[in-house]
Amino acid sequence: MLKWFRSYGLMLKWVYLSNRPWLMLNLAVQLGIAVAFIFGIGYFYPEITLSIGKYLTTGSPTIVLLTVGLVMVPQIIASMRSEGTFDYVWSLPVPRMAHIAADATNTFATMLPGILLSIILGKFHFGFDLQVSWLVIPAILLIASTATFAGYSLAFAVPKPMMINVITQLMIFFVMMFSPVMFPAEQLPGWLQAIHKVLPIQYMADLMRGTLTDIPVKLGMAFSMVGAWFVAGFACTYILVRRRK
Amino acid sequence: MLLEIKNIRKVYKGKVKANDDISLSVDEGEIFGLLGPNGAGKTTLVNQVIGLAVPTSGSITLAGVNIIARPDYARELCSFQAQVQAPIAGLSSITAIELAGRIRGGKKAEVHKRAMELVEKLELGEWKKTLGLNVSGGVRRLVAFCMAAVVPGKVVILDEPTNDVDPLRRRAIWQEVQVLAKRGSAVLLVTHNVLEAERVVDRLAIIDQGKVKGMGTPASLKESEGDAMRLELILEPKAAEPSLPGYLKKPLVINRRVLADISPADVPAAIAWARNLKESGAIEEFYLGPSTLEDVYVRLVKNHDANGNHGKGI
Repeated sequence: MLKWFRSYGLMLKWVYLSNRPWLMLNLAVQLGIAVAFIFGIGYFYPEITLSIGKYLTTGSPTIVLLTVGLVMVPQIIASMRSEGTFDYVWSLPVPRMAHIAADATNTFATMLPGILLSIILGKFHFGFDLQVSWLVIPAILLIASTATFAGYSLAFAVPKPMMINVITQLMIFFVMMFSPVMFPAEQLPGWLQAIHKVLPIQYMADLMRGTLTDIPVKLGMAFSMVGAWFVAGFACTYILVRRRK
Repeated sequence: MLLEIKNIRKVYKGKVKANDDISLSVDEGEIFGLLGPNGAGKTTLVNQVIGLAVPTSGSITLAGVNIIARPDYARELCSFQAQVQAPIAGLSSITAIELAGRIRGGKKAEVHKRAMELVEKLELGEWKKTLGLNVSGGVRRLVAFCMAAVVPGKVVILDEPTNDVDPLRRRAIWQEVQVLAKRGSAVLLVTHNVLEAERVVDRLAIIDQGKVKGMGTPASLKESEGDAMRLELILEPKAAEPSLPGYLKKPLVINRRVLADISPADVPAAIAWARNLKESGAIEEFYLGPSTLEDVYVRLVKNHDANGNHGKGI
């Protein structure tokens, strides 16, 4: 176990340094997405009520987390696969999950400023009081981990790295347009509502709503469903990274 | 033997036989070369040793341990320079080398000392603090070599360590490879560079189409060529191949080069003939010398490639 943590620490340094040249650009993109969602999505509505404002404010962090997990992570892994990075890193005496955990930690740290900015901007722009529960911390961690490990599973499962870009575009399109993140589920047709009863996206949004505002949600249900998806994503990643050619 | 590879077969989906019944062994302090053309199966073989790929059948043991079942053990005991460039774009050369040493279990102060020693020997001082994304492919390759050599494993696997590297630093690499072996590591060296390998390896295997075509010391492999000398002609660009006298045996054409065996008795006649060709402008140059490992290599891997990439007999 000690070796695992030693490896994790050293790989965290490796991953951080490897990403450092692009760190500012990454941060700028995350912050830009946060700003775009708070101000840009508002133009879709002729009038923004308090309720809509709350949905937009709590939906933005969820979208940021899903964008990073489902788009950025798989695309980075795809380019790393194409360049043969894993042939190198996985020949080192490092448990593979320690490397993945280090990568996930670094990804999360990059996401955090964007998430915080979108919440603060939303609060002031739409003018309402946040009702922050301490559960927001496990909620954000769980959403980020679930999205990131779903991203890893996809990135390692797809046989040809080139295919990943197309799949991620489709997924983010689905998340933004057809998922009850920025609006209530009741606004979707019945069949889409049924699909979202199984997918984690709605429950991720519920976690943010339930821990930041007074919007009534079933938090227990949301934690359970997102938790189950996290376990599935983690298990898939664990199996996929141990595969040998 | 420290590393024992027995009857390894690796068949990829689509039934491509990358390795077809390969057996070899490498002992402590020995430098073993794996030579062969592109696509011969050399990288596939070392990937199976390091646990990146799994054989279809056969066994690999390292210090008596079955490393097909224990790839983690293989990675503990082997240090590896992959054929792909190391992912060090955001790391300075010295940080990359030290971090690799620490990951391989080295202590901070010792790793630093050894890293500085390697930087000096390979003359990397100029780029010590330069990020990987700002150095040339050759320097990146040298840094990757240092990363494998800073805390060397019981087995050091080097896959094309001198690609893109300038001739002087290539010499420095070969010297360091010999130091690694002297300090007790078994070195498994994958290369296309036959002439350089000949001077460095203790033993070698020539691999082609997934099979071992020849194995032994450079001297023992060259013995198969007998006491034959080698005549090499470099044709003028676009010149037609000259018709060869009968005493030139086993002739082979590779682009503008014509290689042929010649018995010592026919040397004076051959020199006179080649001089004539040069004077008449049919050839640029000619060389006469004893057979080299390259001759052995060329003969063992020739005549199989329909595209003629590896030369054709005439």
